Amino acid sequence: MPTVTTRTVEQQAIKAGRKPGRRTDEVIAASVLSDGIYELVIRDPYVARTAEPAQFVNLYPSDARMVLPRPFGVAKIEGDDVTLIYQIVGAGTQEFSQLQAGDVVDVLGPLGKPFDVSKPANYVLVGGGLGVPPLLYAAQILNQRNDGSEVTSVFGYRDECFADDLVAPFADRTHSIVNAEGNVVDLLNDIEDELNNAGKQPIILSCGPTPMMKAVAAWASKRNIPAQFSLEARMGCGYGACVACVVDTPSGRLKVCKDGPVFTTEELGWEA
Amino acid sequence: MSEQTEQAEQMNVFEPHEWRHKTIVAGTEWKNLVGTASGTFQLDACGDYYDVSQMGAICTKGVSPVPWEGNPSPRTAESPSGMVNAVGLQNPGVDHYLIDELPRLKKLGAMVITNVAGHSDEDYTQVVEKLADSEADMLEINVSCPNVSHGGMSVGTDPVVLSRLIKHLRTLTDKPMIVKLSPNVTDIVQIAHAAVDAGADALSLINTLVGMRIDINTGKPIIANRTGGVSGPAIFPIALSFVWRVRQAIPDIPIIGIGGIDSGEKALEYLYAGANAVEVGAAALFDPTAPMRVARELDDLLDSRPELAAKLAKGQTW
Ligand SMILES: Cc1cc2nc3c(=O)[nH]c(=O)nc-3n(C[C@H](O)[C@H](O)[C@H](O)COP(=O)(O)OP(=O)(O)OC[C@H]3O[C@@H](n4cnc5c(N)ncnc54)[C@H](O)[C@@H]3O)c2cc1C
Ligand SMILES: Cc1cc2nc3c(=O)[nH]c(=O)nc-3n(C[C@H](O)[C@H](O)[C@H](O)COP(=O)(O)O)c2cc1C
Ligand code: FES
Repeated sequence: MPTVTTRTVEQQAIKAGRKPGRRTDEVIAASVLSDGIYELVIRDPYVARTAEPAQFVNLYPSDARMVLPRPFGVAKIEGDDVTLIYQIVGAGTQEFSQLQAGDVVDVLGPLGKPFDVSKPANYVLVGGGLGVPPLLYAAQILNQRNDGSEVTSVFGYRDECFADDLVAPFADRTHSIVNAEGNVVDLLNDIEDELNNAGKQPIILSCGPTPMMKAVAAWASKRNIPAQFSLEARMGCGYGACVACVVDTPSGRLKVCKDGPVFTTEELGWEA
Repeated sequence: MSEQTEQAEQMNVFEPHEWRHKTIVAGTEWKNLVGTASGTFQLDACGDYYDVSQMGAICTKGVSPVPWEGNPSPRTAESPSGMVNAVGLQNPGVDHYLIDELPRLKKLGAMVITNVAGHSDEDYTQVVEKLADSEADMLEINVSCPNVSHGGMSVGTDPVVLSRLIKHLRTLTDKPMIVKLSPNVTDIVQIAHAAVDAGADALSLINTLVGMRIDINTGKPIIANRTGGVSGPAIFPIALSFVWRVRQAIPDIPIIGIGGIDSGEKALEYLYAGANAVEVGAAALFDPTAPMRVARELDDLLDSRPELAAKLAKGQTW
């Protein structure tokens, strides 16, 4: 069993008033959630203590031919353990899917600007596919608060509803839909009365494919519902050094990894 | 345990360090032999991870006369042990640089190399004129970016055009002027001679090599700009040979070696090839503390090479 040195790197950095750089975390558990979708639990006290919803961590394949970071949203935190949920799409995630408890993986983070969940509200978590993990963590955090905030999940899946059971313990209301039945905007239409009757101001937090999020933005802005979106972009570094991961906004090209991944409807110019 | 963490364990890259070995490049004294390479350092990002004033030099992202928005997304693709990028020199322009980034870097106590970008002779002129009286310690003229349609690499691949530009810029500033060369040329030595004869005080090499990746599911290039610049460990032996060839041809010009450096050992190879200093680029993207770690590793490696260390400390070249 290799020595895990996460704490050393973390303590050295914090003592010097810095953020810990790339370090090696121990894998605590790894399992299959559904076809091609995996759950990975790593032990990282720093991420566990500091991560906020929609922040992500970079994982690095151990195969030195793959140099770029693979960013994944934090899906859950328990003690020092951080859960990530990911789908196999290419060589990097293929490698991660082979990880087992006791293995190690290189990590950087937490990275990025989180969802703003400061106001008490009915947080409507609208997720599509592998955009769901950061919303699970948002639900967990909101559930721990005592400010009367509520959580409504609205998840769209390709087929298997892999995250319904994961969000249920933290949500006041859960809704989901699979591709064959429609999309999350259909679902939002279905539950519009419920949102209006909840009595609390709804605030949408959304993560998923860009076309889905644009449709959600249009739906929300027509109803004057504030919305925040967590974006994806191909990254070179994930922490703001290379300006690779930009998104076009009315105020110019902003970095998804450092100015985001979370942006509001207005910041993105995505109003209907 | 990964290599990175093993080294972080041995050396605390976050704490200040008594540097034992320095170098002199075109009259500027670097407290160690390692700088950050242009385009891979942003103060607001990298400063979170290490004390930037501890680096030998900080080379900034390319600065243009007016704000540039760069290329559309996606801007990166992975390549075996490397990456292809086409950021296209997105930057907020020289005026913003002069009131924002440069004062902040200087306040921290960093030695600053300002990387100068342009589409035309007038662009380079405007930036250099504005930097001439600034606090920048050195200027690095980027005539080698493959990702801008005019200027950039097209200047750096033609010795006549390059010579005219550098001669002109020489009249505008007394600051040490580094010319950053492109590897995308038939004969790097000819270009190096042109830069030095026109008044360059030092050369840095190399910039990225032109490359691309195609998504086989769509048959289309991954990067929106279609082609980009290749950097990272994959280019190390290529870049090293460029440094060596230029050093063989021009014994007495200071050279900054750049390309694929991710360890003290690789940096040391550059010194043996004839470099006076090095810059760490893509490796910093894969680990924010990489420039500091490389500097520390090289400092250690030079302990057992006193002759090489002494020569570099005096600013001697070959
Ligand atoms: C902020 C953020 C959070 C994310 N959170 C999650 C998550 O929680 N769960 C999850 O399953 N996926 C998530 N993704 C997508 C995930 O990063 C990619 O699926 C993964 O990097 C693919 O790696 P690969 O080596 O298997 O793919 P390859 O295609 O082999 O990778 C090649 C390169 O492309 C990049 N790349 C490929 N797909 C994407 C993508 N969709 N977005 C950005 N870069 C990509 C890779 O990072 C790598 O640099 C997130 C992406 C971002 C930007
Ligand atoms: C994302 C990125 C952006 C870059 N931007 C610049 C730039 O603005 N000006 C410049 O002269 N070189 C730029 N470069 C080139 C690097 O400074 C360096 O010459 C090159 O990447 C090779 O070194 P490396 O292998 O260590 O990355 C950039 C490289 C990368 C990866
Ligand atoms: S990925 Fe490097 S700046 Fe965002």
